[in-house]
Formats: sequence, structure tokens, C-alpha cells
Amino acid sequence: MTEPTARATRRPSPALVLWGSIALFAVLFALLTYQLASSQPPAPRPVLVRKVLKRKVITTYVPTPGQNSVSASGGSLGGEASPASAPITTGAS
Amino acid sequence: MSEHDITFDAMGSHVRLLIGEPGPGMAPAAEAAEEARRTIAEFDAALSRFKPESELCALNADPRERVPASELLRAAVRAGLEAAERSGGLVDPTLVGEIESAGYVASRAGMRGEPLAAALPEAPARRPARPNPAARWRGFEVDDEAGTIARPPGVRFDTGGAGKGLAADMVAARLRGYSRFIVDCGGDIRIGGADALVDPYEVFVEHPLSGERAFVLKLGSGGVATSGLNVRNWRAEGGRVAHHLLDPASGEPAWTGLVGATALGDTALEAETHAKAALLSGPEGGREVLTARGGLLVHDDGEVETVGPLAAKPRIRIPSPAPSA
Repeated sequence: MTEPTARATRRPSPALVLWGSIALFAVLFALLTYQLASSQPPAPRPVLVRKVLKRKVITTYVPTPGQNSVSASGGSLGGEASPASAPITTGAS
Repeated sequence: MSEHDITFDAMGSHVRLLIGEPGPGMAPAAEAAEEARRTIAEFDAALSRFKPESELCALNADPRERVPASELLRAAVRAGLEAAERSGGLVDPTLVGEIESAGYVASRAGMRGEPLAAALPEAPARRPARPNPAARWRGFEVDDEAGTIARPPGVRFDTGGAGKGLAADMVAARLRGYSRFIVDCGGDIRIGGADALVDPYEVFVEHPLSGERAFVLKLGSGGVATSGLNVRNWRAEGGRVAHHLLDPASGEPAWTGLVGATALGDTALEAETHAKAALLSGPEGGREVLTARGGLLVHDDGEVETVGPLAAKPRIRIPSPAPSA
């Protein structure tokens, strides 16, 4: 009668695991670097430049003969209201 | 950024100019505004039918068939003919005798008209205006090479129907290159400038019956004009209210069921022509006139109707809150 042969279980050495991991990482890292380097840069997104400008309105009211004039700064010389803020209006005329 | 705003009286109306920043090498806005004011004053002096010394009156009184004419008069007559052609003869520039017979002999600048709401119940039955079959305007011929205008002697021309729109367009042509501008010749308006495309002007449409704001347009370019019965109307012999928009077929003031029309166009002249043609066409015809470019019709009862692109429904609608039970 023979006894079954006991197979000794061999564990990989810690050094092998360490160097194997480092090698795998290096290979993957090199692959990713190559992929990134060889791919086209992404197209730049169009940028809408919007300037916010403050509009300053300089108003001159040219009077018809016999009327007082209204100053450009919006003050009135003849008690008239300045038309500086008058909206643009279309109407029958 | 500044904008120069100048207002003055010309062509029997208020004229307003807003002019933005000049382009490279262009005159400052204030200088351009003064130049534009002179241009409009010359326009008014040459083309008024109320000024006996005007070139237009000289043309109308000239017994020759072919009359030498300045570039300005030729442009004005051409604009009037263009308006007649475009409107199928509804905007007829040869109704001088008819408008005088109706009572519009002298300038009505600054004069208050009759209250329109009170005039409407006593006005004749409503019907669309029609072109005059005689189409006297077709007898006019402008020859730029010879510098003349030919027409059957005795047929008088009135540039009033297209004058303000043309003046606005002429001034606008000189303001090309300014960042933004608006030329408002008595409500016939031309807008331009690259900056106006980005930041459009708000243009209020006046309601002809209430005088209130009927609509707000946001415009970055092109023309807009309004025609209405609330101004240049008067009480004629017999006590009836008359006004300046005549039915070319009858030569009488047109009562079509509309009291006002506002039109958009590429130019102020185009908008002015469409506005007048729409008002003269009545509600049904007016819709057809305004369908392509858009506009507003104001009915006798005061209802404001948007037509064409202005009537387009907004794409995004905010749902109204559910009614509470």
C-alpha cells in the first residue's frame, strides 16, 4: 500500500509579486501614454464673447423757432421735460 | 459707449436720430447728426407740396412734358412710383387734386385731428380701397441720364406718401459704419449698425385710438412704419370727418375697417408702403399684405391683430397654474 504523495503548495515569492505588479503597471501606463499622445486634441468649444456695454445717450433737442431749447444733460431751460428717455415709437404722423 | 440722440421738426413731423460710435475715420456722431439734419431739411424744402418755392411744386406747375429735375426729386419720384408699383396702385402718388378737394390744402403739422373714436360711427360703410383704373402714375418716367422727369403735363405728384420712408433710408445710407443707429422720420423708422443686431432697439407701436402702447417690437435692422387715421384728419364740409388716406378709385377718404397698420420691411420705404397698402386694403387684404414680413392691424373696434411672423406662437410656453378646485 502506498501513501498518497503530498504535494507541497508553493507560494510565489513576495519579490516576484512586487516586480510583477510594477511591470504590469509600467506596461499599462506606457500604453495609456501612447494612446493619449497619438490621439487628436479635442476641438475647442466656440466661446461667445459678450461685451456688456453701458450706453450713454447724449441728447440734443433742436427747437423750432419760438421754443426754448433743452440742454444735452437732460435739464430744461424752458420748463420742458427732456426727451432724453423718450422711447422710440412708431405711430401715424 | 455713447449714443447721440437728436430730435427736431421736419416734414410736418418729429424727426429723431440716435447715432452710436463712429467707425474708423468717420466723423463723430454729433457731426453726423447735424449733417443728417441738414439733409432732411433740404429734403423737406425741395419736396413739400405745401411750399410754393419747392422743386416739387415747380415740377407740378411746369407745362412741359419733360422737366429737368435734381437727383433728389428724381429719387423721390422714383420712390413714389416704386410704392405704387409694389402696392398695385393702392399707394397712388398722383392724388393731389383729390386730397385738396377732400380739404387737405395746407400743412397740418402740429394740428390736432378730430377724435377718431367719435368719427368712426358716422363714417361711411366700410370697404377695401381699390386702385384707380386710370393709373396716372404710370405716365411718369424718370430719366437719370438726362436728369429729367417726364409725365403728362397737369398730372401732379405728391411725394408725401413715400417721403418720410425715403428720407429715413437716405439718412441711414449715410450712417453706414456707425456702431448702431436709428432714423425716425415721424414714425417711419430705419435701424442699422452691427451693434444693433446684438442689442436690438425696442420700438413701441402706438395705438391709434387710445394713444397707448399697443405692441413692442425688438428690431436690430431694417424698417418699420405705421399708417393710421388718428392724425391728419379734419372735419370736412358737411360735417363729416375726412382724412389723408384716400381710396384711389373714388378719390375719397378710405374707411376700410382698419384704423391703423404697422409694417416691417427691409427699408423704411418698403415698410411705409406696406403699412399704407395694408390699411387701404382692409382687414382681409391687409393680412395678405403683411403676411410675408409681419405687422399689426388695428381694427375699428380697437382690436390689435398681429400678422405674419409677429403672430408666430412662442416655442416655449410656461404652463399656467392648474385651476384650483
